[in-house]
Amino acid sequence: MKILARAALIAGALALCACAKTGADRFGNDVALGGNAANAGIIPGSANDPASAAYFQQSVGDRVLFAVDQSTLTPEGRATLQGQAQWLMTNSDYTAVIEGHADEQGTREYNLALGARRANSVQEYLISQGVASSRLRVVSYGKERPIEVCSTEACYAKNRRAVTVLAAGMS
Amino acid sequence: MHIGHYISGVGHAGFIAALLFGGFAPTPEPFEVTEVAVITGDEFDRMVQAARPPQTATDVAMPAPPDDAQSDAPAPAQQDTPPATATPKVTQAPEAETPPPTPPAPTPEADVSDEPPRIAPPPQEQAVLAPPVSDRPVPRPVPRVAPEPVARPEPEAKPDPVQREEVVPDDALPPIPQDPQEATAPEEATTEIVTEATEKPSSAPTASLRPKTRPNLPAAVAETKPAPATPPATNQNAVNDALAAALGGGSASSAASGGDSPPTDGNGTAPSGPPMTAGDKDALRVSVQRCWNVGSLSAEAMRTTVTVLVEMGRDSKPIHATIRRLGYEGGNETSARQAFEAARRAIIRCGNDGFDLPAEKYEHWRELELVFNPEKMRIK
Amino acid sequence: MTPVKTLARLALTALVALATPPAAIAQDSGRLRLEITDAVIEPMPIAVPQFIAESAGASDMAARISQVVVDDLIGTGLFRQIPSDAFISQVTAFSSPVQYADWKAINAQALITGAVSTDANGLINVKFRLYDVFAGQELGDGLQFAGTQEGWRRMAHKVADAVYNRITGEGGYFDSRVVYVAEAGPKDQRQKRLGIMDYDGANVQYLTDSSAIVLAPRFSPTGDRILYTSYETGFPRIYVLDVASVGRRALPIPDGDMAFSPRFGPDGNTVVFSLTQGGNTDLWRMTVDGASPVRLTNAPSIETAPSFSPDGSRIVIESDRSGTPQLYVMDANGGEATRISFGQGRYGTPVWSPRGDLIAFTKQNKGRFHIGVMRVDGSEERLLTASFLDEGPTWSPNGRVIMFTRETQGAGGEARLYSVDSTGRNLKPVSTGGAASDPAWGPLQK
Repeated sequence: MKILARAALIAGALALCACAKTGADRFGNDVALGGNAANAGIIPGSANDPASAAYFQQSVGDRVLFAVDQSTLTPEGRATLQGQAQWLMTNSDYTAVIEGHADEQGTREYNLALGARRANSVQEYLISQGVASSRLRVVSYGKERPIEVCSTEACYAKNRRAVTVLAAGMS
Repeated sequence: MHIGHYISGVGHAGFIAALLFGGFAPTPEPFEVTEVAVITGDEFDRMVQAARPPQTATDVAMPAPPDDAQSDAPAPAQQDTPPATATPKVTQAPEAETPPPTPPAPTPEADVSDEPPRIAPPPQEQAVLAPPVSDRPVPRPVPRVAPEPVARPEPEAKPDPVQREEVVPDDALPPIPQDPQEATAPEEATTEIVTEATEKPSSAPTASLRPKTRPNLPAAVAETKPAPATPPATNQNAVNDALAAALGGGSASSAASGGDSPPTDGNGTAPSGPPMTAGDKDALRVSVQRCWNVGSLSAEAMRTTVTVLVEMGRDSKPIHATIRRLGYEGGNETSARQAFEAARRAIIRCGNDGFDLPAEKYEHWRELELVFNPEKMRIK
Repeated sequence: MTPVKTLARLALTALVALATPPAAIAQDSGRLRLEITDAVIEPMPIAVPQFIAESAGASDMAARISQVVVDDLIGTGLFRQIPSDAFISQVTAFSSPVQYADWKAINAQALITGAVSTDANGLINVKFRLYDVFAGQELGDGLQFAGTQEGWRRMAHKVADAVYNRITGEGGYFDSRVVYVAEAGPKDQRQKRLGIMDYDGANVQYLTDSSAIVLAPRFSPTGDRILYTSYETGFPRIYVLDVASVGRRALPIPDGDMAFSPRFGPDGNTVVFSLTQGGNTDLWRMTVDGASPVRLTNAPSIETAPSFSPDGSRIVIESDRSGTPQLYVMDANGGEATRISFGQGRYGTPVWSPRGDLIAFTKQNKGRFHIGVMRVDGSEERLLTASFLDEGPTWSPNGRVIMFTRETQGAGGEARLYSVDSTGRNLKPVSTGGAASDPAWGPLQK
């Protein structure tokens, strides 16, 4: 148990650390983080800790998906974002970077702009829900960082996304 | 970690810069361009005269007959041309490896080898899409675009603008002495440039062979045959002329060699009188355009129409030195020069064996004014 | 020719022959005049005997230089090499007279002879002559180039450029470089860094490391600087990189905004780029020093991927103001934009040809990508390629060849550079020694 707890702690720390920098390793790995702590009690930083980044990712949901070419939020997307907004209001010492992404069906530069539109939709919605705009930044990766690598609609659908990535520390 | 990257980056950058510019940077001008000043043109000419008594380098100035003789003469004179190695190696003619005194024949393997890496689309795309298109064959990408589509020649045929029957010396009864003539065929060609995008995806498995361009075949036959241009025409013009004279008309002679004579323009109507018939003119036009290669012309030259004057010898060969530009339309002086050079090559190359022109109408074709208008080719 | 056409021609010929009395056919000028409108398009056969080594120890260099000259010319698809074992006469000295008949006999339409000498100081001298075999004369005068040993490839390219120019009438493109993005790693964690190489993939050097994503580099008109987009700070920013020193600096962008898609104007001082503010992407212009920013478009739509006309007066851009990405031409100072793409599908990354007559673009239609060209007014659209993903065309300095990115699909998908003639012929991969994308062709080197 102790070992497990430590593992979870390390995992949480890693997640935070990964969020704070812009390395490539963050993009694919975040989903796997919670498994370690599945049966643990409430451990600070773990997915069971409602104040943790891991909890935000898994229980609140850190991403919303978009239709082809669209940056309009879906009803499910809005529900997710309401949860995000509540969480952010509760945990006010986090800031967030909203990353916009596109699938690979489009030219590189256009997709950058499209990803920015998506990130912006999320940002505006969070602000409308009461999150201070000073806590939110947006960035677009266009089609540079897919989370799924196949070339079918099943993957494209998951790649057309905006991900709210937490960063610790209020300015 | 970041600092490490930066240090590494800067270090690499410096190293790269040293690699890139270490060689060039110190010398202010990386290149000194000068005309080759080894010898002057005059000296060159004199050397040429001294080194080789007759022709070779100066055959431009020669009138046609000597030029004709010259194509035979130097080769035997040269001791360093062993006949066996001199002939392109893939030739099929089993007999007579003698140096073919006949026409230019490009080596076949080169033609085959420059097939661009035009690959069928990856299989998975086909498998997924299964486009609702018919299997109708589409023009295949071939490195050659010609006015008439030409089916892929028999493998053993050497490329030649003119299709020829194989002429094998026949011991039995040779009425006229003939040189061994290999079977030749025009190189495979399509009528327009086929881009990758215009290639219709076939619903057939992509790995299988593409359909042969069957629909083109009849056209190819129909087009190449009417060329009364070079019937049994070897380089023996005396024979040719005699034959033409004997048969009393240019295109009629094709019946003698071609066997099945398809509907040839003007064939049946050719009067024995002096004027050039439309058929005569068409035959000449066709034989010149076979050698007019615009593939390497600039976009500007492709907008330039040049008018070229050429004087013809009685042997129906162009007199090279007389080929000159009368004028041009569109383009500029530079593009006109390129366009003229391509036109000149066409006249010389396809006139090498003499054009198919009725000897008795010599006065009509003694001087030819050829207008090379590439407008139609621009869109291909 | 169709049978119908043949028949029609036959009938017409017969009619004319019957109806017209012989006297009327007689030539007015006394000279037979014919118009030739059909031609063939095929590679011109050329002979390039190995260059002569004119000094001791130069034979290796001579062999390498002649090979690069041949590779350059053959690589255009406009020429085809006659193998040397078909040669009848050999070239033993640069100044020996040319046996035109021997070259005619093997149908060599052009002959290139050359010689290479080296000296003790590490300098090499390359000279060449070009002959029109069938005309029996030299095309232009011989030229020679002197340079350092390290620059031997460039000298070979210079020879090939001169030959190309004399035969085609077009400027060459062999002595030029390409800046691109070298890629490594799996699709979801792709490492990217800027690479620069000769147009043929030789002499690859890297200009940045892989610690941050870099995108879509562009050369300045003189080739001494490169504009590109990098995520160095975690957010896309535009950088100017000096090729010689590899020093770089960022263009000043308001904090919180994204800047990308930078392009040099033909003056080498103006930069047009996309700036994203509040989710909306518009085009802006500033000097390469970051001074005097001017907003060129102001619309809720995406405006990106600009490209200057060669005279700098206009730009062609990609915009989705109509609902899907399409191409528009507008004044380089802003104002009305005129749509020029009207075909089916989506159009992007327009690039104005250096000759000014064509615009190359990426087209996406029915699940496939194409590289195509159209005239500046949008007419005569012509698709040159088709694949799962082709994008980002760039023109050779002479406006004849287009290089672009082709990416294969699926988890193992990988990007490679390809080139294609603007006619659609001669499609082929460019060797880069690894995955690569976003090529930008630089100018012909001085």
